[in-house]
Amino acid sequence: MGKTLELTLNGQTLSFGEGDTILDVAGRAGEEIMTLCHDPRLKPVGACRTCLVEIDGWRRLAPSCATKAEAGMRITTHNERIDRHQKALLSLYLSDSVSEEATHDTADASQLHSWAARVGAATDWPHLDSQRFERSDDRNPYVQFRADRCILCARCTRYCAEVESVSAITLAGRGSKTTIATTDARSLLDTSCELCGGCIDVCPTGAMTEKKPLAQRLKPARMLDKVRTTCNYCGVGCQMDLNVDRAAHQGRGQVVKISSPETGVAPNDGNLCVKGRFAYQFIDHQDRLQVPLVRGEDGELHEASWEEALQAAARGLQGVAKRHGADSLGFISSSRCTGEENYLVQKLSRAVFKTNNVHQCSAT
Amino acid sequence: MAGLVTTFGAGAMTNSIGEIRDADFLFVIGSNTSEAHPIIAMEMKRAVHRGATLVVADPRAIWMTNIADRHLRLNPGTDVALLNAMAHVIIEEGLTDEDFIASNTDHFESVKAAVAAYPPERGEEITGIPAEQIRAVARQYASTRKAGIYYTLGITEHSHGTDNVYALSNLVLMTGHIGHASMGLNPLRGQNNVQGANDAGASPVFFPGYQRVDAAGIVDKYEASWGTELSRTPGLNLNEMMKVAGSTLKAFFIMGEDILLSEPNVSHLEEGLNDVEFVVLQDLFLNETARFADVIFPAACFAEKEGVFTNSERRVQRVRKAVEPPGQARADWEILVALANACGADWHYESPAQIYDEMVKDAPNFAGISHARIDERHEGLQWPCPSAEHEGTRFLHKGGILRGRGQFQAVEYRPSLELACEDYPLVMSTGRTLYHYNAATQTRRDPGTDEKQPEAFIEMHRFDAKKRGLADGDMAEIRTRRGRVECRVIVSRQVQKGCIWMPLHFAEARANLLTNDAGDAVTGTAEFKVCVAEVSRVQSAAPVDRSVDRSVDRFPGSYYSEGGAH
Amino acid sequence: MSGANKDKAELLERLAAAGGLKAGSATEVARQLGLPEAEVYGAGSFFHLLSDPETKLRVCTGLSCAMRGARDLLAQAQAAGMPVAECSCLAACDRAPALLRERSVLVDVKPEDIAQAEGKWQAVQGAELSEDWVGAIGCGEAVSSHLPIDLAGEMDVSGSAYRRAETLGAEAVIAALDEAGLQGRGGAGFPAAIKWRGVRAEPAAPHYIVLNADEGEPGTFKDRELMLRRPDKVIEGLAIAAMCLGAEDVYLYLRGEFRGPWLALERAIAAFAEAGLFPGIHFHLHAGHGAYICGEETALLEALEGKRGMPRLKPPFPTQHGLWGKPTLIQNVETIACVPAIVMQGGSWFRALGKTEPGTKLYSISGDVARPGTYELPLGISLDELAQAAGGYLGTLMAFSPGGASSGFLPASERGRALDFKGLAAAGSMLGSAGVVVLNSANSMIDAVREQLVFFENESCGQCAPCRVGTRFLREALDRKLRGESSQQSLAQVAEVAWEMNEGSICGLGQAAALPLTTALNHFPKALGSAES
Repeated sequence: MGKTLELTLNGQTLSFGEGDTILDVAGRAGEEIMTLCHDPRLKPVGACRTCLVEIDGWRRLAPSCATKAEAGMRITTHNERIDRHQKALLSLYLSDSVSEEATHDTADASQLHSWAARVGAATDWPHLDSQRFERSDDRNPYVQFRADRCILCARCTRYCAEVESVSAITLAGRGSKTTIATTDARSLLDTSCELCGGCIDVCPTGAMTEKKPLAQRLKPARMLDKVRTTCNYCGVGCQMDLNVDRAAHQGRGQVVKISSPETGVAPNDGNLCVKGRFAYQFIDHQDRLQVPLVRGEDGELHEASWEEALQAAARGLQGVAKRHGADSLGFISSSRCTGEENYLVQKLSRAVFKTNNVHQCSAT
Repeated sequence: MAGLVTTFGAGAMTNSIGEIRDADFLFVIGSNTSEAHPIIAMEMKRAVHRGATLVVADPRAIWMTNIADRHLRLNPGTDVALLNAMAHVIIEEGLTDEDFIASNTDHFESVKAAVAAYPPERGEEITGIPAEQIRAVARQYASTRKAGIYYTLGITEHSHGTDNVYALSNLVLMTGHIGHASMGLNPLRGQNNVQGANDAGASPVFFPGYQRVDAAGIVDKYEASWGTELSRTPGLNLNEMMKVAGSTLKAFFIMGEDILLSEPNVSHLEEGLNDVEFVVLQDLFLNETARFADVIFPAACFAEKEGVFTNSERRVQRVRKAVEPPGQARADWEILVALANACGADWHYESPAQIYDEMVKDAPNFAGISHARIDERHEGLQWPCPSAEHEGTRFLHKGGILRGRGQFQAVEYRPSLELACEDYPLVMSTGRTLYHYNAATQTRRDPGTDEKQPEAFIEMHRFDAKKRGLADGDMAEIRTRRGRVECRVIVSRQVQKGCIWMPLHFAEARANLLTNDAGDAVTGTAEFKVCVAEVSRVQSAAPVDRSVDRSVDRFPGSYYSEGGAH
Repeated sequence: MSGANKDKAELLERLAAAGGLKAGSATEVARQLGLPEAEVYGAGSFFHLLSDPETKLRVCTGLSCAMRGARDLLAQAQAAGMPVAECSCLAACDRAPALLRERSVLVDVKPEDIAQAEGKWQAVQGAELSEDWVGAIGCGEAVSSHLPIDLAGEMDVSGSAYRRAETLGAEAVIAALDEAGLQGRGGAGFPAAIKWRGVRAEPAAPHYIVLNADEGEPGTFKDRELMLRRPDKVIEGLAIAAMCLGAEDVYLYLRGEFRGPWLALERAIAAFAEAGLFPGIHFHLHAGHGAYICGEETALLEALEGKRGMPRLKPPFPTQHGLWGKPTLIQNVETIACVPAIVMQGGSWFRALGKTEPGTKLYSISGDVARPGTYELPLGISLDELAQAAGGYLGTLMAFSPGGASSGFLPASERGRALDFKGLAAAGSMLGSAGVVVLNSANSMIDAVREQLVFFENESCGQCAPCRVGTRFLREALDRKLRGESSQQSLAQVAEVAWEMNEGSICGLGQAAALPLTTALNHFPKALGSAES
């Protein structure tokens, strides 16, 4: 560690480390600064202009996300000038975006609209028609780009290039026609896109959104419960939030979307892959087994009650143990099931049937 | 797993996933990281963007090679020759960490003697990698402090899988690259809870927490805890069970696995299952194995139950119930309790939390972990975590090797069990893709992943395809000594001449009808990664579906481009 | 420069060679260079000469051309079924209206030129700008030899200034620039000596020199003229900079329409090389592809690196973190062309040439004057003096734009004000590029304001909202005004947006883009209809 560095922020003396930005320092001190294009996983670009602060001796306001803290800086995050700037800026954003009500039809909360409400941005400025090309015929199954809500913060394109490193989408065009595009406006399926959906997750306005919930007329984010859990695919153990519509399926509940946890949460730092984020429709699939099945005299599987099935299973396993000995049984547990369930399988095998023939597919 | 337990005393990633971004040298071998572990690949990309050196050793030109400083394109199954040659260079050039070796390890001399016979020129002869490249990588690895090794099934799914792990361990031990953040030896786990299943004792030789079933003190402890007499003979591992299915094994209880898709040489297994008297399954869907089942229990999926999964970095994390299971389906733990009680046991568990508490009571490494603690912390707990005050362990072997002293294990290169021959001139490997998962019972039920990759295929080099009159998208028959399947051909620049590669996800073209079930002598893990095959055109092929671009450029315009990095 | 950087830097040129962004061309260039195709596509789509290869004719609707019937020409070509669009200033305001046929600038275009082409764009003819063209170049032969730039002078490839700079040494050269009071002539007016010292002091290597020849400020065409007539001054100035700052590579970024200046510079480079001068200094010419914003120095660096021309945040400044992250001196054509004379004759000589501020200045003047052209005059002359050099006003002076679109408009009452850095800033305007456009009373003020707003809307890079949304907001507000839908409330909104554009924009474009409207509202409230409402 180098020597202690100090600056003043809103009159408060704060220490910081080499390389910290003003936003980092403010964040640690609990001073909230509005951001839209910022993501700790991405290089700062200072493009959304929401995080501008005043630094004594600087003629212009400076983006706190991209400005390195320097010893002796005197920084103000709120005064008449900054408040006026924020209000005017967000009023401009709103005139170039959709109404607050229009954001209710997706499960993605719009950070833009909540900030706008907080700073009291004007909602009655003339509306500008979006000039941004939308690629509405993209046949990819997951990601929908709704250009009318895009504020070109470029979090999605930067995530695609810097974190996922596939560079499937890009800022394209110029000026008010600037949009988020694929090469030659192709479908994401025909690009280097790996469908990780990170673009949806980083979008602060719901411009990048999921196709599936749209089709299902999904409820707004505030009407969904989020349940933090662990992904059931590979061994990384990503943390993820199941977005649950409690009323669906006659009150049984339905997972209607999977979203990332906040950045910084181990082990995935807010990232998910295509399987984790999107491949959850199996949960509701019609092929799911719903009742126990027992093979009858006719050689076919028949629906049975739990009691019948449990008795049949017990009789069958115990019969073999009696006829051929305990070590004629094999217990195959599953690396897809929970630790507790694996524990119970080995206990079943060892304590109930007296054999160590228990294993699962995982001998790495 | 067994390899690492022998050399280090713990079979798990030595480091945390979050440490990868800070590594300065990454050696990725036998891991198609961006497809099998996309999130870990993101960490590696982050390290590379930061300036770290990435070396990928793989027979295929996988995606990661595009951002790698070097791609060591070794012949399939020649890992030991490469790793021994690297060890040879490190010793020859005096790049070993003598202090670490002296104070922390045993048997270095045996390895020194063994690798003396592997100068890089011999390595080149066997692996096909130029000797100079082997030298350069060995030097870089040895001389970079924060150097991590990452591997997965490309290392272990061989008849000499344990040897591969030993050879890797030797490199780590001779350079002392262990016991600190961002350096060490890291097996990336394929399944969500491979680590947790092993930790929980779903093993023929271990109780929970890697306590041997034939160690007297341990068995006594469990007999006391469970109040019953236990067998003291190690059981059969999975590979052995599959081989004796129907002969000595007469009944199976199978939870959440489709052995007819996931196990090698399945035609032999199918024959065996015909002679099995009784099969109980519990699963989400009717799978291939269900054809042999006598009783099938409908199980809840991960979103419908409580519990824990343990990830690759030993992090015990919560699974939480979000919705109710469909119909009469129940959580696996509830089914197991009911089944045990139907079999005469007297189990009373109210919740997974209670089961977990019972498990950790007798397993010291997990003793400090509970559902309540994980819920409080929001980021799981990494074992070892011996007490309720312990904060968990980010990286292993801090201040010394866990098992006391690290064990060098001298190994010799042994060719794979099958070598290309006149009848089977192609070497086949199997693996995973980004868009599907294992038996694909879940991913193929999703319209998106299914559209991106709707059907089975093999990847083949342009030269080999041309020789057989095969064009991109043609249907072909793939034959090995054990069976045959049909699927599409992708003429791919990822595979080298003489090799083919096949994903294991597709029921209509089961790769495991083809694979060799000959197993590793220690773990029983089968040689999924190398068998020999021949491919020929199928005349009556259906017209090619060109709606999705699956041809040479599976990633059009990206790094796979003609003029790109490769 | 690493290999990968070099590949990327070629991206835009390869796309141009491929005929611009047609289906598949981004993919093809990506293959050639080993880059992600979206990166190629995204970069190409930024530049209108690449993004829209189907448009073959582009009519300049810069203010001076608009005053000479450019919009009628555009309508005529459209009616004739030609693939035509409007474009921003082509730096030929002295020979308005101008038109771009593929990449050739045609000037003095008349309705007959369109009519005789009979719908075939290839057949559209006009006069061409070339190095042979001689326009109005100064205020008389008498003082010619005393001018630092001396547009009428002979090419001089003797290298005497370079040799003298070698003898003096870098510190003395920079001290001379300091003494001369040389301020940047591209628009911002930053003291040259500070930049030179800054780069020289940076320990990181290598250092780069970049020439900003992306002249595009409406009303400005002085760099074009300078490069055509005195490329020797430019090249020698660059060589002196390279020598003083320890740079080997010099990048010359010319707007893509500057074919004549390009050839003139190439000839000068060859002539110096033939004379065995400037060994070890490599000159690299780069053509722009149609984006006014690349005249902003950091946007220019991005474009040189093969990226979208979006300005970077400052700090860090290019002197520390410039081309490929290395310390870089970026100078405007005119600024660097002053250097040889300062080296030869001394800083105080140069300083004394000015009237109110140091040195001479190349003023471009167009619009309603008798002889539009480029004039090298003492810095600080008034509009009346400049107009006199240009043969006098046509009609009755109503307004003028003193330094390009970014300087807004001043009323006739300011005709005596010194056209210098301080004087114009005090009037709420700026000297900028000293591209003066004169409007007489026959013009519509509101139309003139609209042309400038359209220019900024079209040329905003789109990176930050104050500029991207603000320019569009203001233009639409003016259109509502023209339709009679405006209200007091909308005036308040306009004021707020203009304030925010200046306060919140990343670069000078957005910060200045409201000036045409706000200065006009100030000085011509009646003409804009804001006085009575």
